[in-house]
Amino acid sequence: MVQAVFYYLAVASVMSALLAVTRRNPVHSMLWVLSLFLHVAGIFLLLGAEFLAAVQVIVYAGAILIFYLFVIMLLDVPDEERGDRFGGHWKFAAFAGLSFAALAGLAHQSPLGEGASPEAAAGAGEGAVAEIGRALFGPYALPFEIASLLLLAAIIGAIVLARKKAGES
Amino acid sequence: MVPLHVVLGLSFVLFGIGMFGFLARRNIILMLISIEVMLNAVNLSLAAFSWHLDDPRGQVMALFVIAVAAAEAAIGLGLVIALNRNKPGAAVADITELQG
Repeated sequence: MVQAVFYYLAVASVMSALLAVTRRNPVHSMLWVLSLFLHVAGIFLLLGAEFLAAVQVIVYAGAILIFYLFVIMLLDVPDEERGDRFGGHWKFAAFAGLSFAALAGLAHQSPLGEGASPEAAAGAGEGAVAEIGRALFGPYALPFEIASLLLLAAIIGAIVLARKKAGES
Repeated sequence: MVPLHVVLGLSFVLFGIGMFGFLARRNIILMLISIEVMLNAVNLSLAAFSWHLDDPRGQVMALFVIAVAAAEAAIGLGLVIALNRNKPGAAVADITELQG
């Protein structure tokens, strides 16, 4: 049962990703990326990462993607509908993507060893979230604070980049 | 549940699709979206390792990746808006001012 759900989510996310990078209309692309994010959130749930699934839906699908949609609608990208979707080098790009996936698949053939029993982790429930919280505010407190500083820098940078210069009308 | 290498294989395929999109698309916003697809593939492999090794640190790493992705989206779209003010349209082929 869990396997069937996983394979459904895997196939659906690969299809969504393929459609997202090939659709002509940017808004359609964005909606396929939304579908990809929701399916990947489902895979996170199967992997016992409930908190990550929630963050994926709230931050990725809810905030980042809506931000992209806003920008697309603000800019009103004019000739994307008419012009070519891909540059003339798209065959090389496809070759690069395929060979990356194949090489990565070959590279991890070396055995990774037996981990802890995965089924035990999947059923952990509330304990898993509490463990993440303890890790975030314990050994990872400094990276956590640096991440908030990075986000602050990104906010200020985005405002500086996007505002009108003083001289411009 | 499925073995680790199947989840990792899915992550590699998603990363390859994102890489193809980044290299092939002509629209700068869709190139940024392809980067998001690649970051999501990496998050998937981090979550898979976290599950396989029964260790929450992989999920903590994935959370940091999401924070960096949010920062990247803000800066990238700020750049897109600044570029769009100078030259309407979002095709990377038109942005040639820095060509030596």
